[in-house]
Amino acid sequence: MKLSAARVAARVLEALEMGERIYTAVVVDSADRSMIGRRWWLSGRRSRGTLGNPALDAAVAGAVPSLFPPRESRGALSRDFEYRDGERTMTARVYLELHGPPARMVIVGAGHIAIPLARMGSMLGMRVEVLDDRPEFASADRFPDADAVRVIGFRDPFAATALGPSDHVILVTRGHSFDYECLVRLLRMEAPPGYIGMIGSRRRVRATHEQLAREGFTTEDMGRVRAPVGLDLGGQTPAEIAVSVAAEIILFHAGGTGVPLVEKERVVERFFGGEGA
Amino acid sequence: MDEKEVMALLASLEEPAVLATIVSAKGSTPRKTGARMLIGRDGVIAGTVGGGCGEGEVLTAAQDLFDGGPPTTVRVDLTDDFTSWSPAVCGGIMNVFIERANPERFGDV
Repeated sequence: MKLSAARVAARVLEALEMGERIYTAVVVDSADRSMIGRRWWLSGRRSRGTLGNPALDAAVAGAVPSLFPPRESRGALSRDFEYRDGERTMTARVYLELHGPPARMVIVGAGHIAIPLARMGSMLGMRVEVLDDRPEFASADRFPDADAVRVIGFRDPFAATALGPSDHVILVTRGHSFDYECLVRLLRMEAPPGYIGMIGSRRRVRATHEQLAREGFTTEDMGRVRAPVGLDLGGQTPAEIAVSVAAEIILFHAGGTGVPLVEKERVVERFFGGEGA
Repeated sequence: MDEKEVMALLASLEEPAVLATIVSAKGSTPRKTGARMLIGRDGVIAGTVGGGCGEGEVLTAAQDLFDGGPPTTVRVDLTDDFTSWSPAVCGGIMNVFIERANPERFGDV
């Protein structure tokens, strides 16, 4: 029997339960009408179902990684795919979805900035984890919005947190040497977090980078770290700094310009600016 | 009802249902690509593809699938919906794919 939407939905829920990433596909248009509604899913190396033609299945499976950036945990789009059917080149329109575990914000350092930042991460729909080596700071009472609060050691800060490209790690520890320990760990990962941010003055950021350079890290490695983290909003309080970090994370995903909309759209100049506009 | 709840219902529904999914959208549509609606013989079961905006067309087309019609794409054009009574602000064009959600629950399969 053909794989139904109901069966695929059950499989997606199971994958989400297990924290797996799953892609689903269904043919929504094709010259061969019998293919419309045929579907398939792919999760890791496992897959089930067919779009009605093995060459089309292969074309879609091959395109999926580039259609959905690894850091994204949700996605939905339609694309036309070409495939060979005997001697002929055919086209089918396929609707694809990505379902993955929710994006995660890992805050290292449970100080005063972590409190508003954890709340904002939660508001943005992320799973929030807060790590610190001081039990009195890394307490669930301090972080009611966090999904996990862990007491860690800076020798191996991410021992209990398996990180990947869809994660956001923000380093707000109390000391430059702790930030450094974390950065070395993160940059040596096989699949580092897509978003790595570190707070700090220009001087502190420079000192960290100098130390990384002495350890043999390249400027390309350093370029993967957003330091100082956040957008230039001019704010000073913990809440204002947290807004600037949260805003940069939104920018990172949504791909905006980061400039005030009034400057980008210039509605008054364009439509009420007289002859010169 | 959020998308995950619609998905859970879709996975467990025992009566025959038609699934409507926005597979592409352009312009200012009320719901975006990926939004889902489950339709039973008597109307909407769960979810939405746009509230008052164009949903009627989708519901009408869905009835054909209960009568044995093939899966198809309904093109909903909201850009010239001047006569709409809906208080929602509609615009844009969306393609809504409709299919039998759970063919195993249809008596004729």
